[in-house]
Amino acid sequence: MQYMILSVFFPVLAGVYLLIKKERGNRKYLLVSTGAFLVITAILVVLALCLGREGMFTLFSLTERLPILFKIDEISVVFSVLAVLIFLCAGFFSFEYMKQEKWEKKYYGFYLIILGVLLALCFAGNLITFYLFFELLTLSSFPLVLHERSKEAVMSGLKYLFYSLCGAYMALFGLYFVERYGNTLTFSAGGVISDQAVSNHMGVLLLVAFLMIMGFSVKAGMFPMHAWLPSAHPVAPAPASAVLSAVIVKAGVLAIVRVVYFVFGASFLRGSWVQTVWLTLSLFTVFMGSLLAYREPVLKKRLAYSTVSQISYILFGLAVMEREAFTGSMLHVLAHGLIKAALFLCAGAIIFKTGKTRVEELRGIGKEMPVLMICYTFVSLGLIGIPPTGGFISKWYLAKGALTSAIPVFYWLGPVILLVSALLTAGYLLPVTIQGFFPGEDYDYGALQKKEPSFFMIFPVLILTILSVVIGLLPEGVIGYLSQIIEKIV
Amino acid sequence: MIMLVILLPILTGILIPLIPFKKRKHMEIFLESLVIVNSLFVWYLMFHHTESIFTLANFTGNLSISFKMDGMSMIFGGLVSALWPLATLYAFEYMTKEEHEKVFFLFYTMTYGVALGISMAANLLTMYFFYELLTLVTVPLVMHTLTREAILASRKYLYYSLGGAAFAFIGLIFVIIYGNTTNFVYGGVLDLEKIGGRTNVLLLVYVIAFMGFGVKAAVCPFNSWLPAAGVAPTPVTALLHAVAVVKSGAFAIIRLTYYSFGTEFLKGTWAQNVVMAVVMFTIVYGCSRALKETHFKRRLAYSTVSNLSYILFGVTIMTPAGLVGAFSHLVFHALMKIASFFCAGAVMYQTDRQYVHELDGMGYKMPCVFGIFTLSSLALMGVPGLPGFISKWNLALAAVESGNSLAYWGIACLLLSALLTAIYMLTVVVRAFFPDKEFDRSLLDGIKDPGWKMLVPLFLFSIAIVAFGLHSVNLVKFFDSVAMGMK
Repeated sequence: MQYMILSVFFPVLAGVYLLIKKERGNRKYLLVSTGAFLVITAILVVLALCLGREGMFTLFSLTERLPILFKIDEISVVFSVLAVLIFLCAGFFSFEYMKQEKWEKKYYGFYLIILGVLLALCFAGNLITFYLFFELLTLSSFPLVLHERSKEAVMSGLKYLFYSLCGAYMALFGLYFVERYGNTLTFSAGGVISDQAVSNHMGVLLLVAFLMIMGFSVKAGMFPMHAWLPSAHPVAPAPASAVLSAVIVKAGVLAIVRVVYFVFGASFLRGSWVQTVWLTLSLFTVFMGSLLAYREPVLKKRLAYSTVSQISYILFGLAVMEREAFTGSMLHVLAHGLIKAALFLCAGAIIFKTGKTRVEELRGIGKEMPVLMICYTFVSLGLIGIPPTGGFISKWYLAKGALTSAIPVFYWLGPVILLVSALLTAGYLLPVTIQGFFPGEDYDYGALQKKEPSFFMIFPVLILTILSVVIGLLPEGVIGYLSQIIEKIV
Repeated sequence: MIMLVILLPILTGILIPLIPFKKRKHMEIFLESLVIVNSLFVWYLMFHHTESIFTLANFTGNLSISFKMDGMSMIFGGLVSALWPLATLYAFEYMTKEEHEKVFFLFYTMTYGVALGISMAANLLTMYFFYELLTLVTVPLVMHTLTREAILASRKYLYYSLGGAAFAFIGLIFVIIYGNTTNFVYGGVLDLEKIGGRTNVLLLVYVIAFMGFGVKAAVCPFNSWLPAAGVAPTPVTALLHAVAVVKSGAFAIIRLTYYSFGTEFLKGTWAQNVVMAVVMFTIVYGCSRALKETHFKRRLAYSTVSNLSYILFGVTIMTPAGLVGAFSHLVFHALMKIASFFCAGAVMYQTDRQYVHELDGMGYKMPCVFGIFTLSSLALMGVPGLPGFISKWNLALAAVESGNSLAYWGIACLLLSALLTAIYMLTVVVRAFFPDKEFDRSLLDGIKDPGWKMLVPLFLFSIAIVAFGLHSVNLVKFFDSVAMGMK
């Protein structure tokens, strides 16, 4: 129990300490302390997950009916483990990458705060706690977006901020009604809306559920509120893009899991117009994201569009509201998290070493940095969904779940669009590999230099790659672990 | 005792130009100690008040000037008396750059008494009397700098306020004629038998009186005096035009709605819908104007316009829960807005910068001021754990519970306004802390945080903001009992 709170507060306080500490220009000290803070946080999280699983913990109460409450369940475990893993890897990567950037102290300060807030989101036990940390997540993560302070970065930072706040307020609108018509605000598997309210206020409640889903999915970049994502993620420094794209968007996914399965309940929404609209929007986003990524020449932007598309795979799986689809979504949360982090780190390493940002400039890159590009290729295959990688398993479950569901039209349309999008994914990721390793006859081999990035950069990418493959080879553990909770909520 | 707390500041004010102080410091000590003493009296009264009505003068019939301390007086009086000593302290430092200090403090201190008079008035006539007085003593404060702009602004302020009061007067007359008494009684005083078939006339009168008092509360379309009055020295804009004056408008409307006409008479009528719609429009209008405004203080003034209508939105829900929401925002908004105004004032005092686009990078040079400004911005936009969230929560829950479909739209307005608030406040914060890459920091050389007289009030406000944000249970319980008519 105490570890739960510590793992939230420790990184936040450490981050605040870094922010207010006087700048001394001693880079080594900064790196060592940041690294130590990250590792300690990871240890605290492991302790919390192993030892502090029982019961709820109320920190204090905002008003009599609004306790700030923490609780760990299977969903929290999945999301928090992912968050810690990726923050460790990207943090390690930053030690090298951020050499070239200014305001490093600020960067690490906010980086740690975000980790703490994310963990609080994972452990949040009721809607109000969740909402509190959801807002804090937005507020603490926008400084990373505008870190470089160019005009473009500042504008995208503000865009990110205001889109997210807009979504949060839409969700808040729903929160008031849930407070009124729900038995409790505490997350409980299967929903909290009272039966009486369901029969008397069906229309309002459906509208409210829709608003909450739309509001939270702003963070997850679902159409029509996706526009901030492709402009905000790429302008941040690469390791920050990695955590933004791999973990922070998942906060939106987590929010929707909580709202749909732990507040309203799948049985309430199944078959309603909300589900239909949601399915339509998520499928549209899957397709649109891939298509835009396919047309995008700048690598980091391309990856950001890819995130738009991939997160909507997850949302689609959630919207189907069937067991296997839900399993697929959870697997894709893990797989996409690891893969997208690795991809952004690769893009970052390329920028760091060569300064090249556009895809067509990357001819022969595989000759220059073979290890990095092999990692890139492996995770790309994973994202496309080629067996036996993580992406394959998750998409398999997603498609299977959709096919076995009884939703008219979508039961076949969903898998079809997923497949088309997978094809597009191959189309936008693999050209980098192909041109990188096979630059063609006219390539000037004489000018070739070995530019393999240092250990600090390669190692995190390697770890992420291995994990993403392992998850595809041994998914039974995760599936078995999740099946208990899934049975309760779907 | 009630008379003492009202008259003491007024007399103190009058004495200031008469006493030949040797040093400025003597005047400061004299004034500050008297204001603090008066505040202590008010707080003493709050805990040891009696239910009885104190009548000063009796005119014909049931018209009298009389005072009483009830729950609502405690809320408004307590708020004003808590803020005044701090604002006075702030003013000492701020006013060193302005002329005619004595005249300023004369009226500034008198206003304290008048505001307390409004809060403790026991009937409509007394409240009306002090309400007019409030206009008269604050006009010189707006005019203070004597620039052309200030004179125009004060004239505008005077005409708007007097005009509003005239409309409110119509309400007063009708309540006298159709009520059992002019005293404030929770639940209203109208005599339904006397009214007979003239319900619609009375509803019309209510709307007129609402708009009349609404002038001070800057209800659209009568809000333009408030941003214009921002030319006054910052202690005036912060304390009077974010708290004392404008909230006395809201206060008067609460008295009118809950204690004179009565919610039972008004609820569910077209009059309720009309005022609610006006208020909802003002909420959005104020925010959008704030967004467009580039003058720092005027932006905050427009934000006040919108936030005052949050309070009035709670009032127009016309349920006890709505009133609780109104009270919470009345108190919390006062804290948040006075803090942000004082920050703006500190910037003006230290650097003479008035426009938002001049604030680039200032967060590094004035970390305390902009830290507190950030806090108050977050509170205003309603981040949970800060008071703005609590009051919005109370307002929205009241709206949901009332089942009134117009009130549902009101929640949407509140949230839209929260988003706009985030935009117009956070753009300032981002400018201050995250200046452009090419920004030349040497432009800011020599700028630093202001002296302790300015910082102490700011720190106290920020402590209060955090404290109320985390723990408001007892306060809201008290509001509850007032709103149920138990105090």
